[in-house]
Amino acid sequence: MELEAVVHPKANLVMVRGRIDHGSSMTFSELLHPHLEKCKKGNPPLILNFSGVDYISSAGLRALMIATRFARNQGGRLGIAEFQPLVREVFGISRFDLVIPCFDTLEAALGELA
Amino acid sequence: MLRRLWTLAFAPLRARRGRPAALLALAAGCLALVFIEHTPLTLLQNAQFDRMQRQSPRDRSEMPALVVAVDEKSLAALGQWPWPRQTLARLIEKIGAAEPLAIGLDMIFPEPDRLGAASLRKLYPQLQGARLEDPDERLSRALERTPSVLGMAATNGLPPGARTALKVTPVLSRGGDARDGAGRFAGALASLPLLEASARGQALLNAQADPALLDPERGVLRRVPLMASVADLPVASLGPEMLRVALEAPAVQAWVRGSEITRVGVGEYSLPTRDNGELILHFGPFQADRYLSAVDVLEDRVPAEHLRQRFVLLGFTGTGLQDRVVTPLGEKVPGVDIHAQVLESLLSGEALTRPHWIRGLEGLVLVLLGLGLIAAVPRIRPTVAVKLGLMTAVLLFGLGYAAFHLGRLLFDAASLVTLLNPVFFILIGNTLVESDRQRRLAEEALQASRESAARVAGELDAAHRIQMGLLPDPASLFAGEQRFQVAAHLEPAREVGGDYFDCFMLGEDHLCLAIGDVSGKGLPASLFMAVSKSVAGALLRQHPEDLGAALAEMDAALSRDNREYLFVTTFVAVLDVNDGRMDYVCAGHDAPWVVHGATVSRIPVAPVSGPPLCACEGYPYQRGSARLAPGDRLVLTTDGVSEATDGREWFGNERLAHLLEQHGQEGDAVSLAEALRREVRQFEAGAPPADDLTLLVLQWWGPGARPQDPPPLSGR
Repeated sequence: MELEAVVHPKANLVMVRGRIDHGSSMTFSELLHPHLEKCKKGNPPLILNFSGVDYISSAGLRALMIATRFARNQGGRLGIAEFQPLVREVFGISRFDLVIPCFDTLEAALGELA
Repeated sequence: MLRRLWTLAFAPLRARRGRPAALLALAAGCLALVFIEHTPLTLLQNAQFDRMQRQSPRDRSEMPALVVAVDEKSLAALGQWPWPRQTLARLIEKIGAAEPLAIGLDMIFPEPDRLGAASLRKLYPQLQGARLEDPDERLSRALERTPSVLGMAATNGLPPGARTALKVTPVLSRGGDARDGAGRFAGALASLPLLEASARGQALLNAQADPALLDPERGVLRRVPLMASVADLPVASLGPEMLRVALEAPAVQAWVRGSEITRVGVGEYSLPTRDNGELILHFGPFQADRYLSAVDVLEDRVPAEHLRQRFVLLGFTGTGLQDRVVTPLGEKVPGVDIHAQVLESLLSGEALTRPHWIRGLEGLVLVLLGLGLIAAVPRIRPTVAVKLGLMTAVLLFGLGYAAFHLGRLLFDAASLVTLLNPVFFILIGNTLVESDRQRRLAEEALQASRESAARVAGELDAAHRIQMGLLPDPASLFAGEQRFQVAAHLEPAREVGGDYFDCFMLGEDHLCLAIGDVSGKGLPASLFMAVSKSVAGALLRQHPEDLGAALAEMDAALSRDNREYLFVTTFVAVLDVNDGRMDYVCAGHDAPWVVHGATVSRIPVAPVSGPPLCACEGYPYQRGSARLAPGDRLVLTTDGVSEATDGREWFGNERLAHLLEQHGQEGDAVSLAEALRREVRQFEAGAPPADDLTLLVLQWWGPGARPQDPPPLSGR
């Protein structure tokens, strides 16, 4: 489970890698927090690149839900881009794509959020 | 109270793992080492050095010195001591005739012979005028003709007979004045000036035994002065003086540094000494073959070659004459033997030494090892510490033996080990106390955690029973139902979990089925599960006709007090059990399966499925519809099925679909649910379940009666 900030002129881009399951969701939340703090009104959007995420459990989804609420309360924009098929399926079935804006490509995310 | 006092009394020893106390003990040890002469440690020191001497005594195979002894045999033959001086004179002349290197007399003649001319004339006035041979003169002549050395006994103070005017050969001091360092005596008991004058040399006979602790009379003789200052004159002792006479040297030499004597000797023969000119003699064992009876010499029973070119000492061995000393080897030898051994040592250059630097070295070793122990012992395990302590002792003793054997140096290992002992024991004691305390604490903690685990397990066990009790038992609930059958399985991954299912009748003809999965698992999820299930149950019964509204109200109700941001995925279906029409809503839950004959399909929930409850406020959930055919089976699962894993891969939907194709037509709802559960558990192969596992299976037989017999009563 690791997060890596990538420099991008139009967004706070964060690469997420590993499994976000029951055991690692706390770590994910803690690592995400500093990026979330910057996700507020007037700042560029926070876009999580999920191409490195192999699996996400309901605990991971809950962490994302809390992050979404946090960002929304600050007036920031948060989205997820680039999924592995299985993870995209989880977002589809659980309809978390209704909770968090999900995009197949980074360009789509930038186009929508930035 | 007593215990408290005890603890208080030992608190200083226990502070900071005993290091300050150990440091104090080390400081005391250093002090003791500096003033070792005033401590009982000297006994230990001497015992240790004596032991080394016993283990390797000086080799006495060479026989440069002989003793002509006034022994029992001689006393028996020649009568009581003192013998007439003529007899002694004859004895000295006999020895002298054999051309010895020197003759040393371990005896003193301070008074005139009782049969001397003066005494006789006093006793027998008629002898006035007669020419009488004076025995003292006779002895004087004998002394004059031989390389003789007379003895003298230096005295503290001036007892009767002692004097300060003495004839001695001065000792030549080199590098300083030997008298400054040498033992000082006020005067000496010496022989008659007549005899003094005729002898070639006069030497000190003193050799003081170390006082024994309990019995000062039985001390051990370890050191012999090679010189002393008598009446402010430097005087050599018998050994070096005889050597001087034999070598016909002008003086015995003393090497001095500052006010300390370092060596004493004659010519190339010299020995290192203590500061006061004392030799630490390396003793050899007593050897009777160097003792000749005086009477045998007098009566020519000793061949002259035997005495030729040897040092000859004249001394007492008769038991009545009481001149015996105890050596470090534990032997009780005649006093004259000491002078013989000094001579042998001078000739072979063998002596034991304990120079100043060795005491400095001992101090350094004590401080370094002490500090080393203080640093190391509290950090290592007690067993290792004991080994370290033993190794330190072995190392020190090894050093002591090596110094003795290789350099005849006296390194005091025993005192160092003794002084390091308190340091070590304070430290190891603290380590043991500490490790004991740690062990006790660990045991207490373990006990506490066991108790707490047992308590929690007990509570979780109760929670499990309560949670299971919240779920309906379809078999008993729908006993006797002819139109459908429901079977369910719920197995939390832990004692309690976040999954739930529900099934109940809405009126006569509508069956409500619900399945839910709270995010996360374990105890936190289980609390929310209980709330979710009861809210769902209540609201579904309130709005049986509008599932979408019911779901939206559930969402609102659950979101109201959800500060932990848990969410629930759920699927709810209401089946008209008479015609198979089924309305449903879905909140982020996996689509249920329908088994229709040999075909397996999924309810197309996607168009109406909304986000999980509590994930997205105010979402307008939509209702979907489907229709079951008689004999169809509806299978609802949670992700405990699809995400079950054997450590390599997921159980997955494909495997589930395949299983439904295989088992979908066999048996009834109960056997299908059991088969699915078994397959999932077998797939996991004993690995701990990743998530709560829930299965809800409905078999609808249609409006008519059930084709088979009533369903068997079995568990959910």
